[in-house]
Amino acid sequence: MQDCKVSAGGIELGRSNCVSAIAFRGDVSGLPNQDFEILALPLLDPLYNFARWLCGDADEARDLVQETFAKALKGFASFRQRTNFRAWMFTILRNTFLTSRTGLEWRRTEQEDEENFEESAVTHDTPEIALIRRADTEMMQQAIATLPLAFREVLLLVDIEEMRYQEVAGVLRIPVGTVMSRLSRARKQLREYIVVTLGVKHEM
Amino acid sequence: MKCEWRQDVSLYVDDELEPARQQEVAAHLRRCAECAAAVMEHTELKKAVRIAGRQFSAPPELRAGIRESLRSADVRPPLWRWSFIVLSIVAVAVLGFVLFSIPRRINPEIAELVDQHITTLASASPVDVVSSDRHTVKPWFQGKLPFSFNLPELANSRFTLAGGKVVYLGQTPGAELLYEVSKHKISIFVFQARGNERAASLSNHNLAFTVNAWSQGGLRCYLVTDASKEDASQLASMFQAANRI
Repeated sequence: MQDCKVSAGGIELGRSNCVSAIAFRGDVSGLPNQDFEILALPLLDPLYNFARWLCGDADEARDLVQETFAKALKGFASFRQRTNFRAWMFTILRNTFLTSRTGLEWRRTEQEDEENFEESAVTHDTPEIALIRRADTEMMQQAIATLPLAFREVLLLVDIEEMRYQEVAGVLRIPVGTVMSRLSRARKQLREYIVVTLGVKHEM
Repeated sequence: MKCEWRQDVSLYVDDELEPARQQEVAAHLRRCAECAAAVMEHTELKKAVRIAGRQFSAPPELRAGIRESLRSADVRPPLWRWSFIVLSIVAVAVLGFVLFSIPRRINPEIAELVDQHITTLASASPVDVVSSDRHTVKPWFQGKLPFSFNLPELANSRFTLAGGKVVYLGQTPGAELLYEVSKHKISIFVFQARGNERAASLSNHNLAFTVNAWSQGGLRCYLVTDASKEDASQLASMFQAANRI
């Protein structure tokens, strides 16, 4: 997927993929719902994907996305042009998630884990390019699923949604420095997962 | 040993460096195998995450549901709201005239004609004979009205004839002729003169519309319009000239 920085009709669409950019042809001064639809519908898949990774449950993810669209439509009038629409939508989704059952549960438990996240004794300074190439999609999905949620969401927003660190910081309401440290720890943990999994297989 | 540039590797891969720094790192990568390998590894990992992470797409029923909810919120405003706005304006205007006309003692006939004019403007088919040709419109009234009248020649003027229809005022039939001048509508009402009447006094009426009234040759004529007073009196005198015997 090729990166392309898109800005149209005064609305910064961010580093979205080109497909969603092409879908946007509107002038923002028209009917609000039509504009909203033009801007928001291309984000449905990315938002749902992100919701699934947050909730881990199809039904909950569906409700979360539905609620996000309802809230966003209601708030679209107050949405300021020139701010990033995609980041705005993800922020609404993330905030809605935090008030959901799973989100509340997570806030109560996992965030502590993250602070106490122990640096693994094993350090892999040497690149494991070959191993990563051997890791198939299923294994990668398992690896992502094992990440603490705080790391997973940063990783997904940066690597899948191709957001800038600054945007991620805005969506998650954390400092950019925290984005960077969580990202690097997420990647480190992924590498370790791959090395351990493939290493074990290798020995077997 | 770890190369001091290594800290920039993930920033480089994530495209988060300033353009100048990005170029410096790119140049460094050509010299440093360690960093080049790290960049490659980072890129591979990023790619693998991207492929694996795009795992779910919205179920069709969710897409349909959201589309539906957006449409249902969207259907009402355009047509419905516009017709509502137009209707309210007309309603307020009519109500305004009714309220204003009573205390200020506007000739009730005039108020009724203004109402008739507004009703015509609001109507989907404002006239029953649609023609800009006076030789079509005038004969149409034959047999419908117990009197006849002439319509002015409009060639070389700014006015156009839109058509006409039969109207009633105080149980007597008459003609309403609809004219246009630069998008404004003008109604001319023509009735038979009654024996004992004077021309309605129109001075000091507080209507938003211009109303002219005159009597000539057994006809009572009224002109109602939101066009300028100049246009109103110009058309009125053209009409008068056409009916002068």
